[in-house]
Amino acid sequence: MRGGAIPILSWGTILLVLAVGNWVWNDRTVSGLAASGAVAIIYLFGLAVWLARRDAIRRGPPEARAEPESVPQASLAAVGIGLSVGCALFGLAWAKFLLDFGIALFIVSVGRLALEIRAERASRAAVLEESERP
Amino acid sequence: MSMATARTAGVPRMTGWLGAVTSTDHKRMGVTLGVCSLFFFLLGGVFALLMRTQLAQSNMHFVSDNSYNELFTMHGSTMIYLFVTPMAIAMAVYLVPLQIGATRLSAPRLCLAGLWTWLCGGLVMQQGWFASGGAGRTGWSSYAPLSNGTNTPGVGQDLWVIGVILAAAGMLVMAACVVATIARRRAPGMSLLRMPVFTWTELVSMLMVVGAFPMLVLVMILLYIDRHGGHIFTGFAGAIDYQDLFWFFGHPVVYVMFFPYLGAAAEAVAVNSHKRWFGYIAFVISIMVFAALSMAVWSHHMYVTGGVTNQYFAFTSTALLVPAGIEYFDVVGTLIGGSIVLRTSMLFALAFFLQFLIGGLSGIFVASPVLDYQAYGTYIIVAHFHYTLFAGSIFGFFAGVYHWFPKITGALLRERLGKLQLLLMLVGTNLTFFPMFFLGNDGMPRRVSRYPTHPGWGTLNELETIGAGIIALGVLTFLFNVFVSLRRRVPAGDDPWLGHTLEWATTSPPPPLNFEAPLPPIRSYAPLLDLRHEQIDRARQRAELTAS
Repeated sequence: MRGGAIPILSWGTILLVLAVGNWVWNDRTVSGLAASGAVAIIYLFGLAVWLARRDAIRRGPPEARAEPESVPQASLAAVGIGLSVGCALFGLAWAKFLLDFGIALFIVSVGRLALEIRAERASRAAVLEESERP
Repeated sequence: MSMATARTAGVPRMTGWLGAVTSTDHKRMGVTLGVCSLFFFLLGGVFALLMRTQLAQSNMHFVSDNSYNELFTMHGSTMIYLFVTPMAIAMAVYLVPLQIGATRLSAPRLCLAGLWTWLCGGLVMQQGWFASGGAGRTGWSSYAPLSNGTNTPGVGQDLWVIGVILAAAGMLVMAACVVATIARRRAPGMSLLRMPVFTWTELVSMLMVVGAFPMLVLVMILLYIDRHGGHIFTGFAGAIDYQDLFWFFGHPVVYVMFFPYLGAAAEAVAVNSHKRWFGYIAFVISIMVFAALSMAVWSHHMYVTGGVTNQYFAFTSTALLVPAGIEYFDVVGTLIGGSIVLRTSMLFALAFFLQFLIGGLSGIFVASPVLDYQAYGTYIIVAHFHYTLFAGSIFGFFAGVYHWFPKITGALLRERLGKLQLLLMLVGTNLTFFPMFFLGNDGMPRRVSRYPTHPGWGTLNELETIGAGIIALGVLTFLFNVFVSLRRRVPAGDDPWLGHTLEWATTSPPPPLNFEAPLPPIRSYAPLLDLRHEQIDRARQRAELTAS
């Protein structure tokens, strides 16, 4: 994890320099806003990585972590979410019922996602409990 | 880090085909995305062949003008949104966790949702062929006001817009997962400056996707609203605003379609030269600067509009030469003194660098506003971007395929068929795209379905059509090679090329959590090469001790 945010923030800084050049040299607001928008997105992404783990801006190789981690093998919910978004947008242009179907599928898929995440947490807790047992 | 496989209590376990399509294993997702992209590549190739047949001679009537517009729009859109970019992401999803010693991808469910959103986008876009009025027909960039509801009515164009939104959103999500994986899941010891060259190229590409693709989603939503009475891109200012916003995505994506294949070619060159990649740190810095600059050059597509400040964009576009030069310097440095083996992957990699050079050098000319005014709208531009996108990306892609196919499938591809494919593709590519420079110089405009009889144009166009057919033969040879190699497998073993990076430290194909044996110590960006050198040194010392 160490250093994970460094390339993102460094790259954002190079973009920032170029965006400033754009604002100074170019008189189009849309152009400057587009460049600044990208800088903001990259900085926010870097910030999110940093906030997720504080050592993300510390240099040096990552260290080994001991805690167990649950690994999902499959997710019908994720497929459902992808399909529902596609279906709903397709329905915008093709047939209204697909829009309704897409929205319904999205709600069902989010419900299923909640079940999957709960099951994953339960299995992790079980492994932790097992490892702590003498 | 110990792993606990989630026993899905309360959630039924999925097996068979359902298990395959819902798998959150990054390798499965990478292969699914890659195979779907390859299908779209073949589809886009068929569109190209139909276009080239129409242009084989002057005043042909093989397809109607409207169909030709649909063909070139769907060819470009399919290749960019549905093949080259997603294939770069597929390679990242499959290979990056292996190269950094991670057991899995970060946020795999999000990645899977992105994969299916992208696939829906591709299918929705192609659905346009069955719509009344036909598929999208305003080019892959769909400039407003040409693409507004008045000038291009019909469901087909709407489906194109929605397809692009879905495909872009899906790719954006997958790219974010790859960046998060690099940020959070590197193996112990894998510092940033020990990441392989390919991983670095994927990292900057995925950062570009994260930075630029939201703009594509936004501009397509605005275009959809505009098409349905929103009146957003109206008048001269509206047209310029559309182009400004579109190219903010449109130029970075060119590099998203280049860097990962550059990384693949670089890995192939280093491994087949039995040498470390030369100038690693300079390469990493140059690729970061290259990627940032490529997000600051977009308005060079708009020089002729008179609506942008040409000086800034000419400066940044020309500055691209510096990092590009460093990369070529690194390739030459790696080759010098290397123990070179001319396997198919190496030959494709060398062809990639040479072919891309033609695209890059012609790019210097069109980066200059004065020269671009002359070249704009002619076949010179078509030649330039096909040398960068087709010759650049595809040759790097095949270098990667021949390099990593044994890791993915456990079987070797046939070398002779590979070399035949390379020959066909080299001849085909240059026969198709090089004459375009002459046609463009002679004033032949792009995006025309028919051209008048003009001295020389007919012959050059005929040559290009023959070249396109030869490329198709090359692709068929590749498909045959894959079929034969999977049918009559020659086992590859875990590390058939004496690879440098961690993916070669595991089995072929890798197990579910990637690595069963402990990882080798990671002290540089080529840990397996380090290990081999240490073993050689130890053996030499032992031999010296025995002798003494």
